[in-house]
Amino acid sequence: MKKYIFTILLALFLALGCSKNDEEFLDRPPSSILTQDQIFTDPSAVLSVLGDLYNRYEDFGRLDDWASLADFNIAYWSEAGRYPAFQNDGWGFGSWGIWNYGYIREINLFLERCEEATELEASLKTRFLAEARFLRASYYFEMVKRMGGVPLILESETYDFSGDASYLQHPRETEAAIYDFVISEAEAIKDILPTDADSKSRATKGAALAMETRAALYAGSIAKYGATTPQVSLPGNEVGIPASMAEGYYTKALTAAQAIISGSAGAYALYNSKPNLSENFEALFYDKANNPEAIFVEDYKVGGGKTHYFTGWNQPRFGAEEEEGGRINPSLQFVQSFELLDGTFAPLANEVGGNPVYYDNIGDIFQGRDARLAGTVILPGTTFKSKPVDIWAGIVLADGSIVSGDSRGQEKTLPGGTEQVQVVGFDGPIDGLEFTAQSGFYIRKYQDPNTGSGRRGTQSDVWFIRYRFGEVLLNAAEAAFELGQPDVAAGYLNQVRARAGITTPLTGADVDFDRIAHERYVELAFEGLHFFDLKRWRLAHIVLDGNPISEAEVTQNIGEATKRETQPYSIWPYKYHNPGDPNDGKYLYKILRLSRITGADRFQFGNYYSEIGQDLINNNPKLVRNPNQ
Amino acid sequence: MKTILKKLFQQICLLGIFLVVSQSYAQDKLKISGNVSSETDTMPLPGVSVIVKGTNNGVSTDFDGNYTIEAPTNAVLVFSYIGFKTMELPVNGRTTIDLQMSDDVAALDEVVVTGYSSQEKKSITAAISTVTSEDLESVHAGASVSSGLAGKISGVTFKMPDGRPGATAAIQIRNMGDPLYVIDGIQQDAGQFNNISPGDIESISVLKDASAAIYGVRAANGVVVVTTKRGRKNTKNVVNINSYYGGQNWSRFPKTVNDSYVYMSKKAEADLNEFGETQITNEELEKYRLGTEAGYKSFDWKNFIIKKDAPLYSLNVSTSGGSDKINYYISGTQLKQEAVLGPEFNFERNNIQSNLDANITDRLKVGVQINGRIETTDNPGIPGADDYWLPRFAILRNRPFERPYANDNPEYLNDIGHNETNWALHNKKIGGYSTNIWRVLQTNFSGEYKFGGFAEGLTVKGMYSYYIADQVLNGHEYTYDAYTYDAANDAYNATGGSSNPWRERRNRKILKNVYQGQATYKKSFGDDHNVEGLFLVERQEQRDQNQWLRSVPETNILPLMYFANVVEFQDADNEEARIGYIGKFNYNYKEKYYLELSGRQDASWKFAPSKRKGFFPSGSIGWRITEEDWYKSIAGEDAWVSEFKIRGSYGVLGDDNIGIGAYDYLPGYNYNTGTVVLDGQPIVGARDKGQIVDNISWFKSKITDIGMDFTLFDGKINGSYDYFYRLRTGLRGRKYDILIPSELGYGLPDENVNSDAQSGFEGALSYSDSFGDFYLTVSGNASYSRGKFIESYKPRFENSWQEYRASNEGRFNDIRWGFNTIGQFQSQEEINNYPVDIDGQGNRTLLPGDLIYEDLNGDGRINGYDEKPIGYNFGKQPSVNFGLSIRMAYKGVDFTADFSGGSGYSWAQEWETRWAFQNQGALNTIFLDSWSRQDPADPNSTWVPGKYPALRYNASYHSNYRGGQASSFWMHNVTYLRARTIELGYSLPKPILEKIGLQKARFYVNGYNLFSFDNLSKFGIDPEVNDTNGLQYPQNKFVNVGVNLSI
Repeated sequence: MKKYIFTILLALFLALGCSKNDEEFLDRPPSSILTQDQIFTDPSAVLSVLGDLYNRYEDFGRLDDWASLADFNIAYWSEAGRYPAFQNDGWGFGSWGIWNYGYIREINLFLERCEEATELEASLKTRFLAEARFLRASYYFEMVKRMGGVPLILESETYDFSGDASYLQHPRETEAAIYDFVISEAEAIKDILPTDADSKSRATKGAALAMETRAALYAGSIAKYGATTPQVSLPGNEVGIPASMAEGYYTKALTAAQAIISGSAGAYALYNSKPNLSENFEALFYDKANNPEAIFVEDYKVGGGKTHYFTGWNQPRFGAEEEEGGRINPSLQFVQSFELLDGTFAPLANEVGGNPVYYDNIGDIFQGRDARLAGTVILPGTTFKSKPVDIWAGIVLADGSIVSGDSRGQEKTLPGGTEQVQVVGFDGPIDGLEFTAQSGFYIRKYQDPNTGSGRRGTQSDVWFIRYRFGEVLLNAAEAAFELGQPDVAAGYLNQVRARAGITTPLTGADVDFDRIAHERYVELAFEGLHFFDLKRWRLAHIVLDGNPISEAEVTQNIGEATKRETQPYSIWPYKYHNPGDPNDGKYLYKILRLSRITGADRFQFGNYYSEIGQDLINNNPKLVRNPNQ
Repeated sequence: MKTILKKLFQQICLLGIFLVVSQSYAQDKLKISGNVSSETDTMPLPGVSVIVKGTNNGVSTDFDGNYTIEAPTNAVLVFSYIGFKTMELPVNGRTTIDLQMSDDVAALDEVVVTGYSSQEKKSITAAISTVTSEDLESVHAGASVSSGLAGKISGVTFKMPDGRPGATAAIQIRNMGDPLYVIDGIQQDAGQFNNISPGDIESISVLKDASAAIYGVRAANGVVVVTTKRGRKNTKNVVNINSYYGGQNWSRFPKTVNDSYVYMSKKAEADLNEFGETQITNEELEKYRLGTEAGYKSFDWKNFIIKKDAPLYSLNVSTSGGSDKINYYISGTQLKQEAVLGPEFNFERNNIQSNLDANITDRLKVGVQINGRIETTDNPGIPGADDYWLPRFAILRNRPFERPYANDNPEYLNDIGHNETNWALHNKKIGGYSTNIWRVLQTNFSGEYKFGGFAEGLTVKGMYSYYIADQVLNGHEYTYDAYTYDAANDAYNATGGSSNPWRERRNRKILKNVYQGQATYKKSFGDDHNVEGLFLVERQEQRDQNQWLRSVPETNILPLMYFANVVEFQDADNEEARIGYIGKFNYNYKEKYYLELSGRQDASWKFAPSKRKGFFPSGSIGWRITEEDWYKSIAGEDAWVSEFKIRGSYGVLGDDNIGIGAYDYLPGYNYNTGTVVLDGQPIVGARDKGQIVDNISWFKSKITDIGMDFTLFDGKINGSYDYFYRLRTGLRGRKYDILIPSELGYGLPDENVNSDAQSGFEGALSYSDSFGDFYLTVSGNASYSRGKFIESYKPRFENSWQEYRASNEGRFNDIRWGFNTIGQFQSQEEINNYPVDIDGQGNRTLLPGDLIYEDLNGDGRINGYDEKPIGYNFGKQPSVNFGLSIRMAYKGVDFTADFSGGSGYSWAQEWETRWAFQNQGALNTIFLDSWSRQDPADPNSTWVPGKYPALRYNASYHSNYRGGQASSFWMHNVTYLRARTIELGYSLPKPILEKIGLQKARFYVNGYNLFSFDNLSKFGIDPEVNDTNGLQYPQNKFVNVGVNLSI
């Protein structure tokens, strides 16, 4: 029998192979799927689902999409593949459109299933439900900002395969109705949500009120300024809000803002932790430990599986941890719009009477301005991560000719010299060389000063602030101004301005629309808000009128809300080389428009509200098109 | 049905146990013995199969050609041996039967491995092509099996876009998609196929039509069946040593300007062309021309990076033989291939193969097959997912005035501003390492029992296969500094580099179990009716566990990973399971009319329980006209058409690879959909799976094949021809006649509603003859196959233009759309007067030499409405494939020349091959032939025409290039014919062999890919490359020397 052992073994193997019936054999349990039952009996699993909904919160500007924070010519994009953005003349009607009803449906399903769940503790359940309603309202707010009034779907629906789907067709609500929904939801959930200024990444009372004040302010300004552009409206008010509603919205905006300012939603305040006001403004965005200003954020965690690469993309190229960086180059116009410390506007003094002004130090030309400038922009002569930036474009010789290079930190021999010397900064600027400071500047806001933040393998966990106390103050100021309370407005503005080191407070008489607009421009730049300010004030088609900007025009009308923004300009530092001359070794500055900038952006009336695509209209003929498209 | 099948399966299993105790019947028989020899040289033939006709009772001849067999007195003995004509001799009561067998050039009785069995070639009624070890032996095209199949098999399409060490070629059967591979009876993937040692392969059969249906589950794209070598019973022990060593060089690669002066002058010209001014002064240009000052010298990066004659080496030692009870084949192979990037970039593989069969009794046979390998891909750790990318990119990125080392001091990596492309970094010392090792073991155990007595003709067989593959990947990209030399202070300052360490490890294990139970029945009734049946049950299961983690180590030195540094961890564990019940029935009448029917019921774990099963029947018929009496009487004895067979087949095949996940039918939540940080705590996300897909099942693939096989002039010419049509129905698509509002939040699920078709034809012809000592074989094949979309479910179009542009209905697949270039502007005047706005900016960016696009709709602008079909597929298989092979032998000298080619696909110039100075990098030399002004600095000087538009600096946005959109100027429809193997060999003559005690000694020189005729050479692009930037690692040219020894 010995020789049969092998065969017996074989037979056993076969018997094992067929010991299960077919269905048992084919049923393989999934390794990462949970049933609805498993989810809604376990609070931590519910939080997983809710967390996924939080993760899909829609932001207009995102840290993981750097360009979205620096659009509309507030900065130049120093990346070769993005140059075409400065060569075209505007945007397609579909730009910025969103229509993610799949997300809405998932929130509705969450609300319904969570509501039905019997094994969840009541207090947890009500908080979960309120948070989901906050997320749903946030998404409708984002949709109404971009699309105008949209169908308001508040329950999950199902197609019955009957062959007739018309019962699922819902028309667009009016623009006002969606804003009303956002505001009423905020009101409804604000007292269910925790009053906790330390909880930043989940919905709180503060977050609900901050959403409410912003939404009401937007609605109010659309009602008021929409009157200046009657062509941007639809007869059914799916786009456009009657002017008569403005005051009501402004009142709600002011009330909600004041509820936060008064402290009723928690201990929120302006961030004021560092003696150096520029450093303080910079730290406001990266300091997560002690930050009373942030109200609602998208949080990240190094070593926790969620990071972003904003610093890697944007930190100064010289000394960067990877061969990356330098992408966002803030424009000259943006830099010079920061006031002098006495509250007056002035261009950067690079010339007097057609002659260059020579500065001893490369950063001197930027001195004496609003502290937020150095907190928002990396200027020549400053440092990042303790390393000095090396931004200078070349050497100007006595005869006015320029010696420069086309690679970073290039060396050449100067006329009359023997040794090679560096003729251009390691950060550029070099026209057309990506990742160098082609405008003369890099962005500082949202950059992470921690070691490793610019490494691909580590990245940054600086959070993205969606709502902050500073904006609430400015919302209150704007609402108060529009409600005819300039003194109240001045009070709120001065809080923000004092933190920026501006020495002369505004009086009620100083407050006009340009002041309101300017303060938002410099305070909230690169936070994804500027574009919607232009839209709701109906200024976008004026500021972005399709005309190129002349060099003379750059330095004019600083601080005016209607100043043209169709092209970003640059200002480049040069070293003066003229041995024996008193100015030898000093710095001078030249204003220029980069060679890659050949287009001038034009914002059309049809851009005010994004196009509702033909495919969406085919699917639901009840949708009306947006105007001017 | 289900329960019956289940019972049947269980009974077969029981039968396996039953065999063990079963006894064979004794019967009255005559004992016959004799000797078999070859007719041509009268040498004894060992290993000839002698079978009592109509039974499975058989023996083999021994070393000296002797055999002994028991058979009834009225039996007929069938003698068969590969390469000889099978002979049938009636016993007629004789006890001694000697025989001389004659050569069979046509090899009609050659055995072809088909689905789960093997058949004589003459009885094949399906479209099956084979390639044997002999055809593969002389190919040294790289490390993988697929790389050697170019032009070898009729109907098998070939493309090898990448030629790095260990690279594989893309092969498809009739361009139907990725085929299924079956290796020694076990379904495997392409990776397993490619990494068998080519020397261990006995034959490869390609099932191209409905005959593949028997493999059901994943066979819709055809099946490649591989059989490894086995020893033959009653043969002497033979040791074979096959070894070769070769040098490899890239077939082609784009060239760049490596002279700083030329580069800078061209950059200045580009600046002047686009902006009218340049920063580059004449003084500076003069310095570049002199090239003596630091910073102005030239450096040849390609020469610095690419090494000549990268070695490829292989050693295969095998031994085989057998007694009357046991036969064996044992082999070990080592292969090492280095890249042209140097010895640090290499691929190494060690294979073992051990095939043993033992006849425990006359009726009971057991076998074990073991194949194992260790496969190592080793190279420096280089940033980016593909460690071979940056070294190649460096050639087109680094400019000639940039230098690898600061102050040319090899101690200091130079900061060139884009140091990741500094080749001086791409080594294990500075850059790091990446080592990927696969260890694979497959073991098949089989037992076979042949029944006698009342069940004569019935054989049952069981097989169990266990497979384990283990992957360990270790990678570490180091931190490094790059330096700038400060001449004034003679100092090296660290001004760049990376402080980002990337350390990763992957541990992956794949386990497979396959169980097969099989029963075959073969019987002849009378002399005319031959019947064969097969029933088989197969269960396959697989588990794939995969863990990956990444850390940010503190130093470059320590090899281990530590928890405190780990920043990422991924874990996966996936199972698969499939079950098949297969039945097959063959019948032939007088070996004249053939019929084969088969069916397979398959079940796949991937579908909803109610949709799991699919039934896939097929059938084929064949008619050997030359066997008809009336043919024989008309044609006579010496007919020039000696064999002519018409055959046809039809079958339905299944495909479970329909692009859905395994659990799409289950409702619930996917866990781990990202991480969200809430109140400072990372939380794993979970997301509703959304609309479940429980209504989808198998694609059905219906293949029709009509073909013929013929043999002419006494076997000197052999040929076959096939036409085929594959209709796939049940492809995924949506029903768009009911439109669902998008606000519902989910779309209608896909359904099995669309269809497509693949059709074409192929033919093969071979001629072989001998003239005295001179032997000649010429063979060739050609095939055409192209896919077409048939229809979708009630398609909707918004207007006729959209229908024209977007519809697929009834159209060929893979049509490339783009602008039609109708010329180049010849003068500024022509531009000024041109009525169509070519560049969207009133033509103000245009210069003479710029491209003129056809304004198809006549609206005066060029936009998406002006696109039309301009090319075939790219990145896919050629629609037309052909191969040609010539073999000659004269006495000890042999010569082989193989060619293959393809056509019917496109390659587009993009990126580095479309516009100059892409990435602000080097200048591709093709742009030296551009339109330019006589004196670039003088805007009024005359234009000199060239092939390409006037230079601009990295101006992808320009209308000439349209950001990479397709246009006919940049699109090339490729046709190539390239030399594959060219080999000259010499074998030592017998007398010398006998003196040194060898059976065979052959030496050869061999070249592969030595030249190619095609239309891409002018771009420096290999014709099989896919990457439109031309940066793919191309195929190599090989020159090898080798030896075959048999002891």
